[in-house]
Amino acid sequence: MVPLENYLALSAIVFALGVYGVLARRNAVMILMSVELMLNAVNINFVAFAAYLDPGRIVGAIFAVFIITVAAAEVGLALAIVIRLFRNRATANVDEAATMKW
Amino acid sequence: MRDYALFIPEYIACGVALLVIALELFAPRLRKDLLAYLTALGAVAWFAAGLAFLDRDPKSYQGLFISDDFTAFFRLLAAGIVFVVALMSAEFLKRQRGVDQGEFYGLLLVAGSAMTIMAGATELLTAYLALEVLSFSLYVLVGILKRDLRSNEASLKYILLGAFSSALFLYGLSLVYGAAGTTSYAGIAEAFAGRDSGLDPAVAVGMMLILAGVGFKVSAAPFHMWAPDAYEGAPLPITAFLSTLSKAAGFALILRLFSTAFVTDAESWRWAFLALAAVTMTVGNLIAIQQKNLKRLVAYSSIGQVGYMLISIAALGYGDAQVGLNATSGLLVHLVGYIVTTLALFSALTAAVSRTGSEEIAGLRGLAETQPFLALVITASLFSFAGLPFFAGFATKLFMLQGATTDETIWIVALAVLNSFISLYYYLMVIRQMYLFDPLGEAVRFRVQPVLWGLAAILLLGILFIGMYPGPAFEFSEQAAKPLFESASAAASARVQAP
Repeated sequence: MVPLENYLALSAIVFALGVYGVLARRNAVMILMSVELMLNAVNINFVAFAAYLDPGRIVGAIFAVFIITVAAAEVGLALAIVIRLFRNRATANVDEAATMKW
Repeated sequence: MRDYALFIPEYIACGVALLVIALELFAPRLRKDLLAYLTALGAVAWFAAGLAFLDRDPKSYQGLFISDDFTAFFRLLAAGIVFVVALMSAEFLKRQRGVDQGEFYGLLLVAGSAMTIMAGATELLTAYLALEVLSFSLYVLVGILKRDLRSNEASLKYILLGAFSSALFLYGLSLVYGAAGTTSYAGIAEAFAGRDSGLDPAVAVGMMLILAGVGFKVSAAPFHMWAPDAYEGAPLPITAFLSTLSKAAGFALILRLFSTAFVTDAESWRWAFLALAAVTMTVGNLIAIQQKNLKRLVAYSSIGQVGYMLISIAALGYGDAQVGLNATSGLLVHLVGYIVTTLALFSALTAAVSRTGSEEIAGLRGLAETQPFLALVITASLFSFAGLPFFAGFATKLFMLQGATTDETIWIVALAVLNSFISLYYYLMVIRQMYLFDPLGEAVRFRVQPVLWGLAAILLLGILFIGMYPGPAFEFSEQAAKPLFESASAAASARVQAP
């Protein structure tokens, strides 16, 4: 069986990639995808912990299912907002959406 | 036995929310402000149903949600905020075109219900879902002015940073779940208390990530970047909603989570809250000085207020139930004072801005001449924020700092007082505009809409009442804070059954 540490390392790497993406990308859609990466890292964590530490119960797996659902809703909402901005301003770049500062 | 009756007040709120949305859909010709009055009526019914849950024995729903005085306190607060904001919006939205008002009022009620669930959640998944319901409603509400570029932009920034912070929060939750093997607060406390080694590094990282996640939600520096933009872009009543409801909900979650689940490791997270408090109040108040826009000024001043409130959370970490109780009741009473003051300020601002059309501080020039009553309300609420005697902010902040002070935290209380002086400076700049300058146009008295006048008058009385006679508010808060420190053992026996 694959040791738990491998799953945790994988999840930490995916999470770090997601954080990097959020901080480095300028396009709102790419930022959203990076957030999705972070959420999937969380899912790996939950499922791995549920399988290894808490085998009789499936709280962790259920948590992951809820996260997937919420993430889908979140992307739907965020894309609607991006489209609104795009219609009004014809850009999806976050650094061009800067009418307000400080 | 599943005790669905515990959620009756929320059934009412969500039922009215659906009704309002359906009404707009099927009766599009209906006068729109009727929707607002229906929402306000729903909030009154919700409040009344909430009163029935005060002074009851704590009752748990499947170990996921607990109905006690703490939950009831936040339920009443949420109903009150929704009531005031709905009435404020009725006037504000009359001058806006292209707003889907059914959704607007429906989401107000849904967000309020989510706050109740956040206050009562005793399990991580429940708390997370309630947090997301609240956040999603707020993302939409901030961007509800679809044709306004600033509103679009505010909503985009808010949702991107909100999603990022939720992901941080969740990663923290997953680490805590991994260490404790359960998601119920009582189970986590038990697991952490029972381990033989010290603080696990994974748990430490998890707690810091959770702290960052909730720090975003209550806009504590350095996680406050979204707040000024979201406040500025949002419609005026929603700015009031953001600065009251979302902060109160965030603190409800932090209080319950850190005073029950993480209480074992209090020594370890205490310093983090102290540092956060010191940075937050200083950053908020210093940046507020240079603001020209009223909403941004309120945003930064509310960040400063969050800094004061975080001191109380740090005091929870002394592990002593009595200190914790004092700190929590101080925090709750200050929350009440802060909310009443903010709502009074925004009722008056809504009326003033609807006349002048300007959200700049300079737009208030000569208000004392054109509308002395509004100028009076704005002045009173700003003095209350600054913590001058006879206004709510003084009494409640005094209680809060008193409750949170211990030998080790005296320095941060001194910093809080220093910050209050800084805040007085920029509040006085606003008051100067109103009283010392002549109005820009003709100095004609204008009439205030009766609804806004009534709201402002009642809330002004509230500020003065809490300021001069804070006893009832304080007793109420103490009663609400008690269950957190009494029921620790009772909650442990109501272990979570697999959700």
